[in-house]
Amino acid sequence: MIDSRPDAKTLAYINLYGILGTLENLLELDPDARALLHNKKPITVAFDVKGGPKASITFAYGFCRMKDRIDECDIKLPFSSCEKFNGMIDGTVTPIPSKGFTHLGFLLKDFQDLTDRLTKYLRPDPKDLEDKKFFDISTSLMLYLIGVAIAQIGNNDEVGRFSASYIADGSILLGVKDGPAATIYCKNHRLLTLKKRTDDPRAFMEFDSIELARDLFDGKVNAVASIGTGLIRIGGLISMVDNVNRILDRVGLYLA
Amino acid sequence: MSIPVYNYDKSRELYARAAKVIPSGIYGHQGPAEGCWIPVTSWPFFSERAKGSHFWDVDGNDFIDYMCAYGPNVLGYNDPDVDAAALEQLKKENCVTTPSKIMVEFAELLVDTVASADWAFFAKNGNDATSGAIMCARNATHRKKIIFVNGYYHGVSPWCQKVDYPGILPEEVANNLYVDWNDFDAFKKLVDENKGEIAAFIAQPYMHGNFTDNKAPAEGYWQKVRKLCTDEGIVLIIDDVRAGFRLDLAGSDHYYGFEADLICFCKALANGYNVSALCGKEWLQSAMSGLSYTGSYWMSAEPFAAGIACINKLKALDAPKLFRELGTKVTEGLKKAASENGFHLVVSGEPALFYLRIADDDSLMIHQDWVQECVHRGLYLTSHHNHFINASLTDEDINRTLEIAEDAFKAVRKRR
Repeated sequence: MIDSRPDAKTLAYINLYGILGTLENLLELDPDARALLHNKKPITVAFDVKGGPKASITFAYGFCRMKDRIDECDIKLPFSSCEKFNGMIDGTVTPIPSKGFTHLGFLLKDFQDLTDRLTKYLRPDPKDLEDKKFFDISTSLMLYLIGVAIAQIGNNDEVGRFSASYIADGSILLGVKDGPAATIYCKNHRLLTLKKRTDDPRAFMEFDSIELARDLFDGKVNAVASIGTGLIRIGGLISMVDNVNRILDRVGLYLA
Repeated sequence: MSIPVYNYDKSRELYARAAKVIPSGIYGHQGPAEGCWIPVTSWPFFSERAKGSHFWDVDGNDFIDYMCAYGPNVLGYNDPDVDAAALEQLKKENCVTTPSKIMVEFAELLVDTVASADWAFFAKNGNDATSGAIMCARNATHRKKIIFVNGYYHGVSPWCQKVDYPGILPEEVANNLYVDWNDFDAFKKLVDENKGEIAAFIAQPYMHGNFTDNKAPAEGYWQKVRKLCTDEGIVLIIDDVRAGFRLDLAGSDHYYGFEADLICFCKALANGYNVSALCGKEWLQSAMSGLSYTGSYWMSAEPFAAGIACINKLKALDAPKLFRELGTKVTEGLKKAASENGFHLVVSGEPALFYLRIADDDSLMIHQDWVQECVHRGLYLTSHHNHFINASLTDEDINRTLEIAEDAFKAVRKRR
């Protein structure tokens, strides 16, 4: 029987590729975040989770990029389990590097400041959302995070894999009209999310405005009713949208 | 000449009211999400009246309707003979403490009409019939597992949903096994791997799933399945809710040359009056009798009277032959109109329940575009589901259908 409870491995994939991966977008969208890296030397931090995901993030010239490779890095953070890595993300576990002790300052100060700033956007104070600029960045980051989480749940979570087993090959666009978008690519029921718009999706789900996207993420409006009012537009191979929506239903289980 | 597109102001106003007091405004298959109203601006939300093959929405727009209320309209909306029988029964009695004698007459009619039926059990929706069939099979065999065909739809009860559907527990679908349509070898393998554990195989008589071309059974498929089910003590359930009485009044199993153990009917049973039926073989009658399975309105008399009138009229019309002829005429005309405008329209499934797909892209977006242009001009089709023919469809309706389809193809061609 399928176990429908959220699992630590899927959460670790979401935490690494989704949460930490969103640092890329934070630095692109938020000049104040970029300023935190001003005059800093390029540095690569690798995360090596036993039985889970592996990736590195290179910070350079105010931006960062995530790669699957962990062999070339300045700081290496090994984790003995997915639970330990998830503990670092929720602040209950302090990581100990196996390489890069001389760069601990970056880890303890700059990296910490960046992730704190990311948390500010991903778990926003309602008052902060009254500022339009903050609102747009926060909602864009949420969209990217959700897009990546969908792929990780579809690839790792038991119920998510069941949904993905019904998704045909091709791309599904999830985005805001004239705004941020993510494209979920499916090949042989494996999912990969790129945090950008495709012009040629096989199916799409598009929100009329960034405000609507926020309300949906916050559970303030109903997606099916919004399709009825035309505020959410769907099209193409609807079975793809259907199954992505079933995975989307599980995103909240992991990100709550 | 270009056909003007409809305006839906009143529909939209009503939907805004509905969304406040009804979950999703319109939930389920008749609503904008599951109904794939793409884009939603091309569809009417609410109807006001109906007659024959037409309905009129709250804005007064007239639609030739090939969805037929998703099947129940089999003789034509407001069929005078069925309505008269129903009204006559209403004057006598409807929902009473003891069932009306007309229930027996309806059961006898079904047993005489449906080839594999030795008895009939009545309920309200197709889902009641399929759920009763599964319970009956489990009671008869004392086994848990059920084999389904991938892409199936047998209703909305938890047992026939999937583990990733909202509100469904893994425990509720833990005994469900899946096999591809027409793949007898895979079916046999699954039976061998679960020897002595499978209560039932449930399937539609041919594959009429959504979002995909419909497929007839392969030569000899049903006969091999029938034999294996008999050999292994597996109850063979045919879900004839959608196709029933449109292919063959004796049941779609009869049409494809085999006998089901249990067969489920609903849509075409009473021309829109609310009744469904589970019919079965004599050896399962005791197992069905033993179930705790009933409902407040399941023995109401009015739909039974409508059902008797409906079945008798379908017989008098030789309706399955008529549906084949009408369906073929409509679909041949649509294919010609598509071809003349440079589109490749694929028609699949039985003509009485034809499925359409424009095959010029792999995303269905061209198809969705054409369907919305049709609906916006008064030809009610869907982009994801099979369609339905009803007996009241006239040559005038078909000619108008083809005019609208042609105009819609031209509108799509202009954009591409």
